[in-house]
Amino acid sequence: MALEKGAQEKAEFLKGTLDMLILKVVAAGAIHGYAISQRIQQISKDFFQLPQGSLYPALHRLEERGWLDAEWNDTATGREAKFYKLTRTGRKQLEAEMLHWEKLSDAVALILRTA
Amino acid sequence: MKWLRRFTERALSEKRLDSELQFHLEQRTADYVTEGIPPEEAHRRARLEFGGVERFKEECRETHWENQWDILVRDFRFALGSLRKDRRFACAAIFALALGIGASTAIFSVVDNALLEPFAYKDSRHLVTLHLRDLDQADDWRGLFLYDEFQEFSKKNDLFDGMVANLQEDVVYSADENSILLAGNYVTPGTFEFYGIAPFLGRSLEAADYQAGAPPVFVMRYKTWVIRFGANASLLGKRFNLNGVPRTLVGVAAPRFAWGGAELWMPRPPGELKITRSFDGRQYWGVVAHIRPGVSLKQAAANLNVIAQHFSKVYPKDYPTHFSIEVESFTHIVTPREFRRALYLFSAAVGLLLLIGCANVANLLLARATTRAKELAVRAALGASRLRLVRQLLAESSLLAMAGAVLGILLAWAGVRTIAAVLPDFTIASETVIEMNGAALLFAVAAGVCTVFVFGLAPALKASRCNPEEALRDTGKGLSGAAAGVGLRNTVVVAEVALSVALLFTASLFVRSFVALQRVPLGLQTDHVLSARIPLPPDRYKTGAQLQSFFGPLLERLKSMPGITYAAESTTRPPYGGIRSEVEVSGRAHSDKWYTLFQLCSEDYLSVLRIPTLEGRRFTEAEVKDARRVAVINQTFERRYFDKEDPIGRKIQLDLLRDFPDAVKEPQFEVIGVVTDARNRGLTEPIDPEVWIPYTVTGSAMRGLLVRTTNDASAMIKTVAREIWAADPNVAMAEPNTLDYFLDLFTFAQPRFGLWIVGMFAGMGLLLAAIGVYSVMAYNTARRTHEFGLRVALGAAARDVVRMVLRQGLRLLVLGMVVGLGASLALSRIITNQLWGVSPYDPMTLGGVAVLLLLIGLMACWVPARRATRVDPMTALRYE
Repeated sequence: MALEKGAQEKAEFLKGTLDMLILKVVAAGAIHGYAISQRIQQISKDFFQLPQGSLYPALHRLEERGWLDAEWNDTATGREAKFYKLTRTGRKQLEAEMLHWEKLSDAVALILRTA
Repeated sequence: MKWLRRFTERALSEKRLDSELQFHLEQRTADYVTEGIPPEEAHRRARLEFGGVERFKEECRETHWENQWDILVRDFRFALGSLRKDRRFACAAIFALALGIGASTAIFSVVDNALLEPFAYKDSRHLVTLHLRDLDQADDWRGLFLYDEFQEFSKKNDLFDGMVANLQEDVVYSADENSILLAGNYVTPGTFEFYGIAPFLGRSLEAADYQAGAPPVFVMRYKTWVIRFGANASLLGKRFNLNGVPRTLVGVAAPRFAWGGAELWMPRPPGELKITRSFDGRQYWGVVAHIRPGVSLKQAAANLNVIAQHFSKVYPKDYPTHFSIEVESFTHIVTPREFRRALYLFSAAVGLLLLIGCANVANLLLARATTRAKELAVRAALGASRLRLVRQLLAESSLLAMAGAVLGILLAWAGVRTIAAVLPDFTIASETVIEMNGAALLFAVAAGVCTVFVFGLAPALKASRCNPEEALRDTGKGLSGAAAGVGLRNTVVVAEVALSVALLFTASLFVRSFVALQRVPLGLQTDHVLSARIPLPPDRYKTGAQLQSFFGPLLERLKSMPGITYAAESTTRPPYGGIRSEVEVSGRAHSDKWYTLFQLCSEDYLSVLRIPTLEGRRFTEAEVKDARRVAVINQTFERRYFDKEDPIGRKIQLDLLRDFPDAVKEPQFEVIGVVTDARNRGLTEPIDPEVWIPYTVTGSAMRGLLVRTTNDASAMIKTVAREIWAADPNVAMAEPNTLDYFLDLFTFAQPRFGLWIVGMFAGMGLLLAAIGVYSVMAYNTARRTHEFGLRVALGAAARDVVRMVLRQGLRLLVLGMVVGLGASLALSRIITNQLWGVSPYDPMTLGGVAVLLLLIGLMACWVPARRATRVDPMTALRYE
């Protein structure tokens, strides 16, 4: 029970940071949804146990906010896919969030080390 | 223009969304296939990892602004469906909300209009009126003053920075064959500037109009101009023949200006003024003053008292032995003291009504949240996001709030209209406009709507935040922490019941008092009687003989007409009798002053009113014609001043007659008869001594007409008017109407209004209490569904469950009733002076109210109790 609750709390917490991760992945260049999900799983070594589909509402939300721009292009295999890329405001947002995150993790790390 | 295209190409965007997600699934499947997994298994795994496709599609759609409208519509449709499923709840909540909003707004609007903002005058907070009070009798001696007094007051006073006076006058407007009577007012210089009201049309009266030799002018009241003269603007500057003087209409006053209840205002010229409408030949002016800011009413009164002391020596007859001048705030004059207190009490009750309405709505919403905790948990478990749940509940709350607010506004509107319609004349100032108070409405609606949202959403947030699994596993106790609110909710119900008892009790007292009032024996018969004042031009009708030349032939002709049985001249209108005078009775000495009412009338007066003779006889037509000094007295006069001696043949002396302009030198009258007592100071006051003498002994005093008809008296008004016109074209009837109408207006209208208001309150209080009891009992039984199921499973009969629920409800009811009865007994002291013929501690009324409330309360408990018995034990237990 306690464990279940812990897992759920983790999921809630990660939902908030998912946006930042997406922005970070997209920052590397135009990329489609499936590739983003593969990339996040790859980098995080399967830490995120979210259903893959939950990525899409997040992508659409970021696009709606103007942080991502989308375009339909052919993939290497010739199939048409939706490619996302970072807008200027999206890049600013990413920088702001990364700065905020670094400050927070530094502070937490400092407390953990010294306290 | 990209955004517009998105809106128009929603089908395309839908296709693209599908294609995007499909792409993901295809790629994942393809990757698995390359890893060597058979295609079917690969597809299965891809789908599993992806999660619910439709759900994510929906979530994607929700982020797109162009879909917001559809989502909103869907939410509302869903909310409507879910409210329709729980119709009883929805109706109760909407009704409670509407009632709270409607009732509080309507009553507050009336109180505000009638008491707080009755006049549209400049700085009306500092306006005051003056009264002369008899300290020995604790009686209002008079609120009117002689012109000399007024001048002295305004000259020798530095605590006021303005003072005006008005004098009522009957004005006959003669135009060709039709003479109509208008209520006029003479006003003193500066009146219109004093009230600070700009004219609607033309101009107000100006300083020059009051000068000696100025051309006669007048200003008309807006309402009169509209109703009597068809709002004809071309009348401005036209000359009207008023009381035989051609006067020019110079302006129409602002719509809300109606000072003195007048239909037209004329400037008072300097020097002596002659008027038609005079009680005893003297002129009494109403005085209004503007008090200097910072000066208290007491200071002002003390100042005036010094001047009045001086006057009491000059005019000893116009002052009682011990007196004081009282200064009263302007707003206080429009509503009698008792009525005002009742209204303040009502406003407090209004606040309570609104509060209770909101508390009921909160209770209902909490009850519903409890029963729905599971539904919400299931939906959360099925993947509905918190946003979705909140939005759905938001939609439900909005629907409830909207319906409640709309219905509430309608109720408020209807309430204001109803109260304005039943409000009797002369209860409030004629300037007062009863209309809806926007601020009050806004406040009530805001309070109601906030309640709905707060209590509609709080459980939603809670439900969506808590772990679905936990909620599903819950044994039906619902939201954690709900139990903590039980005490508060029960308190609300007890308070509701208590308030409802107090209101019902008050209302019943008013009803009983009203019934008692209508059963008062008048001692005279008011049905089939036509009554009117007859103002006569003072220059042509100065003496008794001149009066006789008008009334004699007129009465003669009226009596001979079909449909009329008796016609008489009279001074005042029953059940108010005559002129008050000091009286002496020959052969009887006394140290205190003796007073009596006397009536100047013709021989048919007692017959018109069917007052029977006890001893002796009445005076005859011949005696009236010759102005013989004969008198008929009532029983009270005989009892009080003759003390068992035989009054017939004795002499009485009416002192006041000596002071009339057409004075009676030796006003001694021989008593020739005694009649039974009839009410002469209204219905509720004790009967005073009264004397009837021939009207021809003097030409002074106001005159009127009383006519007994065989059929509907009001149908004879035109006939009588024609006869009067035939007798003298310059005379018109004032206020012709049936005696029953006046009786109703002056006697029953105000109690009936009180009855109406209190009755409305009591009805609403009862309804709200019923809804309150119902909502709390519904909530309590919903929380105990599981327990009831268990009990039924263990063999409890439906009857036992019902009894359990009823007992719980009964406890609240009885507690509320005890508190309410205590409060009513404490309150009833306040309304004692508005009651008549019923004790404020009437045990019958108390018992009746208790029984009624108990029945309604138990009925409100019955519904949830019945529902509790219908719980299927298996369903209730399977929740475990």
